[in-house]
Amino acid sequence: MRIIHWSTIGLALLSPLSAQWVNYPTSGVPRTADGKPNLGAPAPRAADGKPDFSGLWEPSTAGGNSAPVAGAAELAPEFTNIAARLKEPLPYRPATLELVKARQADNGKGNPDGLCLPLGMIRMHSHPFPRKILQVPGLIAILYEKNVDYRQIFTDGRPLPADPNPSFNGYSSGKWEGDTLVVETIGFRDDLWIDGSGNPLTESARVTERFRRPNFGNLEIEVTVDDPKAYTKAWTVKLNHHIKLDTDLMEYFCENERDIAHLVGK
Amino acid sequence: MTRYILGMAALAAMASAQWPNQPTPGVPRTADGKPNLSAPAPRAPDGKPDLSGVWRPKQASYLFYVTSDLKPEEILPWAAALYQQRADDFRKDSDGIACLPPGPKAGISGGGLPAKIVQTPGLVVILYEYQTIYRQIFTDGRKLPDDPNPTWMGYSVGHWEGDTLVVTTAGYNDRTTIDLAGHPHTESLRVTERFRRRDAGHIDLQVTLEDPKAYARAWTLPIELDLVADGDLIEYVCEDRSGPHLVGKRGDEFKIAPEVLAKYAGVYGAAGRSFVVTLEESRLMINQDGDGKIPLFAISETSFTQEGTGIEFVKDAQGAVTGLIQRLVEGDRLAVRRK
Repeated sequence: MRIIHWSTIGLALLSPLSAQWVNYPTSGVPRTADGKPNLGAPAPRAADGKPDFSGLWEPSTAGGNSAPVAGAAELAPEFTNIAARLKEPLPYRPATLELVKARQADNGKGNPDGLCLPLGMIRMHSHPFPRKILQVPGLIAILYEKNVDYRQIFTDGRPLPADPNPSFNGYSSGKWEGDTLVVETIGFRDDLWIDGSGNPLTESARVTERFRRPNFGNLEIEVTVDDPKAYTKAWTVKLNHHIKLDTDLMEYFCENERDIAHLVGK
Repeated sequence: MTRYILGMAALAAMASAQWPNQPTPGVPRTADGKPNLSAPAPRAPDGKPDLSGVWRPKQASYLFYVTSDLKPEEILPWAAALYQQRADDFRKDSDGIACLPPGPKAGISGGGLPAKIVQTPGLVVILYEYQTIYRQIFTDGRKLPDDPNPTWMGYSVGHWEGDTLVVTTAGYNDRTTIDLAGHPHTESLRVTERFRRRDAGHIDLQVTLEDPKAYARAWTLPIELDLVADGDLIEYVCEDRSGPHLVGKRGDEFKIAPEVLAKYAGVYGAAGRSFVVTLEESRLMINQDGDGKIPLFAISETSFTQEGTGIEFVKDAQGAVTGLIQRLVEGDRLAVRRK
């Protein structure tokens, strides 16, 4: 049965749910002898022999918080605080810590989620709504249920752009190291939030993601943030996913962002 | 780039190429390395034509106005009245201004921006630069849902008829329009697209619109999609949601007798551009560079607006119409009357 997903910012309304294609069997699923999906089977391979990341995925929440509404999907804690499961706090510069405190003191009014803005490729790894990865030669496209948004990761060997126009999702180019896809991304805007606590990402950031699919049912993503303007050194977080079968993306579009103006005071 | 000043409050910052001089892999080339747009269309591993690539519609007018083939009586009265009201209100409640999805406009005009088709077995995805939005077209044999929950972008399924991909889309909500001019549609809208990749550089696309609750008959827009080689999509995020600043009403159109309007009909040309002005059902229509017809709205005896772009007809001392001036942001363009 499809579980109802909720945004953590309760202001933006969910579009109504229904049963179109929400229950449709996924093709090509390896099965055990009794017909159940075999999530531990080897990962499928693309025509070029590389692991194929294609599929519908959602964040793994083992050890995460329960969502505030009964019946809702569990929320990965990194969505609210990217450092939730890190051994040490983030290596803030003094000004960065001030910025984070200011964002939180402001009741999170600047949280892009409440403003119907893109959350950016890091935070989207832990957003509870599903995402579909589509892998073709030269390109991996990630289709997000949230806001019918997408991200492109080029795997055709192109160099990162020399003078990119600042963007929410950056410019991503990936290459294989064995069975791991190593993706570099630059070209971010200077005012990004990478979680609900206001931890920043700036225009000086270089983000490295290492994607692995150890078996059919799991996707491991290790994210390293090297952002000298905000942090004194690079730091790494794991944002893993498990596969979601027999369903598809639904359409969610954020509309009621004007409610955030009602958040006043500190 | 849209040529028309649309009064939209929310326009993304349009940057120059972020991947400059990045050749698109897989594009056939001539001996000197240029894209060979008339090479045969590539094929996917399953033998079907491969529609993959970044494409841009040639017909800029369909972004703005799609009903030029319909007679006025073929637009149901409620739809015609709503269109008129929206025009009078400067279209301030349009989906684009509110940063909402474009609905069927994406498939018709891409919002005036390029779109990337990614073709895989069982699924064709279109990534639109406009609002960084996507559409899934399922080619795995599934049928359209019987009782779909209405959505902004509808539900699309496709199948091959020879070398043509035929896509059917239904299940739209009624909160968008079929063009920027504001022609409405209902939840009954059904769109059929036929994609045929003529050669490496061109797709011939026929878009048929059918919405009996708004329009008395179906009609088809012939669209040429041109390959954007060696370029890619740019991130477009609609940010200015502060609400429309458009206030007031457009005001009544300046009335001009049909015999006066008829004097403006003709062919005008300037430095490689052509303007064909015709009089249809007492309305002047302008067709720039063969892109499609847009109605002209009269402001004075000689001045019209091509939806924000001024068009002024020029007369000589004897009162004969000798040319037209197109008033653009970057300056005026004079087109001499040729016929």
